[in-house]
Amino acid sequence: MRFDIILHSLGYLLRAAAVTVALSLAGIALGFVIGALVCAARRSGDRFLRRLGGFYVSFFRGVPLLVQLLFIYYFLAEYGLDVPAVVAAIGGLGLASGAYQAEILRGALNATPAGQAEAATALGFAPFDIWRRILLPQALRIAAPPLINEFILLLKASSLVSVVGIAELTRVSMNIASMTYRPFEAYLAGGMIYLAINLCLAAFGAFAERRLAAGGST
Amino acid sequence: MTIFDASGLSRRGLLKTGLAGAAASAAWLGGLGRAFADTLADVKSRGELVAATEMQFPPFDISDNGTYKGVDRELVDAVGATLGVKVKYLDLPWTSVLPGLEAKKFDICIAPVTITKERMKRYLFTVPIADATAALMKRANDDSINKPEDLAGKTVGGQKGTSQLAQIKEFGAKLPKPIEVKEYVDNNQSYADLAAGRIDASVNSLPNLAYVAAQRPDTFKVVLPPFGQPTYFSWVGRLEDKTLIDAINAAIIKAESDGTMAAIQKKWFGQTTDLPKTVPEPTI
Amino acid sequence: MSFAVLLHYLPSLIAGFGVTVLCWSAGSILGLAIGFAVALLNRLPAPPLRWLLRAYVEILRGTPFLVQLFLLYAGGPYIGLRLSATAAGILGLGLYSSAYFAEIFRAGFAAVPQGQIEAAMSVGMTPGDILWRVTLPIALASTVPAIVNMLVILSKETVVLSIITVPELMYQMQTMAAETFTAFDAIFAMAIFYWLLVEAVSRVGRRLEIKLTAFMAREASA
Repeated sequence: MRFDIILHSLGYLLRAAAVTVALSLAGIALGFVIGALVCAARRSGDRFLRRLGGFYVSFFRGVPLLVQLLFIYYFLAEYGLDVPAVVAAIGGLGLASGAYQAEILRGALNATPAGQAEAATALGFAPFDIWRRILLPQALRIAAPPLINEFILLLKASSLVSVVGIAELTRVSMNIASMTYRPFEAYLAGGMIYLAINLCLAAFGAFAERRLAAGGST
Repeated sequence: MTIFDASGLSRRGLLKTGLAGAAASAAWLGGLGRAFADTLADVKSRGELVAATEMQFPPFDISDNGTYKGVDRELVDAVGATLGVKVKYLDLPWTSVLPGLEAKKFDICIAPVTITKERMKRYLFTVPIADATAALMKRANDDSINKPEDLAGKTVGGQKGTSQLAQIKEFGAKLPKPIEVKEYVDNNQSYADLAAGRIDASVNSLPNLAYVAAQRPDTFKVVLPPFGQPTYFSWVGRLEDKTLIDAINAAIIKAESDGTMAAIQKKWFGQTTDLPKTVPEPTI
Repeated sequence: MSFAVLLHYLPSLIAGFGVTVLCWSAGSILGLAIGFAVALLNRLPAPPLRWLLRAYVEILRGTPFLVQLFLLYAGGPYIGLRLSATAAGILGLGLYSSAYFAEIFRAGFAAVPQGQIEAAMSVGMTPGDILWRVTLPIALASTVPAIVNMLVILSKETVVLSIITVPELMYQMQTMAAETFTAFDAIFAMAIFYWLLVEAVSRVGRRLEIKLTAFMAREASA
């Protein structure tokens, strides 16, 4: 074990960790927007939209993220659409995460009793108000734990964006491993940083869950 | 192999026809017409040469604390100075470097690539930038291996798709007991497995192995002499970018005549070697 | 798409597909077994043991599979654990997924209504009987969708095994791309192969889910 090697590269690792966090945050936000739209499509009365939403989920969950990223960055460029690396990375993460988030939201909405929306309609609530004041708060409470879980998964999956030339945490760990010929130390250091970030996320998730649960009981 | 090339062309033809409308209109509308421009003129007007490599190939490409270092960096900087442009470096995993070159994500691949007949058909190579003769590296404490022939019946690891790997396969087949070859996604995993004792030797070019062994002399040792035929590393450009590659060749030859190359070699390899001034005819 | 290249490499791609399925299924079975054991042990009233199990789950869930696999394969020999690439791949997949499966089973146990257990106690069932005939059927029935989802995710995680030279599908695809310089074809072929694989797993999973849920419900009410 030679941890002086890691200390030498600590700044490099931490900068890469910041890139990983920033890309994942952007990816999860984009994924939430896409997920909400896809979920709405899958629950809509229009059969074509339902089909389209179903296809989206099947395709983006089925094709590995690595392949999606290669496709967006390299394949499209062959045909004149030159996507910048950062856009390809966030877009790829967002498109894939959107499929998972759509399913999380759909599950949460399914778990919200249908009688509530009906009762609200009977009471004269506008459809938008029903969404905003009745369905969404309950759905978010149910969806919060799996959404945090999805964030953790996305953060780890973001290691794949190195294929478009972005120096994120896994890539930098590999760079250090190749420069020092000390792969064990380099990967261990990278792993510890991932763990630290994800433990923070999990703690935040537990906190949010408690807050949302408390909000529900009042 | 010709059958692959023929079908490769037809695949492209087919896809291009299929996507021609969309691509053409996108290029026209978005002003992304640089695919049809001369890359050298483009580089000069941008004032920037975009070069890609995988920064995990010491001593050629190293990312030290986020700073790009190594033989390729110093040589491409000299080339950029001659051309009068700045150089921008991209770090990409090796499996996406050549696709990126074809997709015009950058101007040139400055990862050292061995010239082979098959590769010459698809890419334009620069004049040699370094010696690439295949050699072997063993564990420092392994006394059973003292020359390349001692590896008969043992296991050797190397990076898949490289010419050094192809050469060890050919070499191993001629020995009394064949060499078992294990293929890795990249050389660093092969070194890690050598240190861990899963394989008996790693194959790569002599400059790479000499550098590894110098960094960890207690773990690794180069097996001399190199077993391969003399081969060279070059940089790689697109077939249609002849003017750019010609300009880069002239700049590399200038670096050789004005002593820049010798200084780089002395710094990273510890010795100087003369390189051919033209693109050699590949023997493999 | 150059079909000649694909056709030439088809035998190795099929062999790779076989290795992918082997690693995926063996890794999943191992993960399910360890995960179930962790969830069961977690119910014992022994705080130190629970902290230990918590740490196990958090470490394995909090780090990328690639990093774990590499530490296991490259670091293993230093502590006397010398595994072949495929064995390390299966063990790695098993350990990684066990953390997720443990959490799924834990949630399943938590979903069993306390009233059911109290009712079972009041009719004089032994603790073993309660676990076997009340808690487990209800817990397992509620976990089936989450398990199927995890199995789908795992089938894609197998691509990472290529890094440590497990000769699975991704590895064979990369060999094809490296030897013939047909990177775009390989990207296409990979997209199609994995989509088919994941679709098949999802479909079988859904059917299994319907059957199992019905079976569990019947068992629980019997």
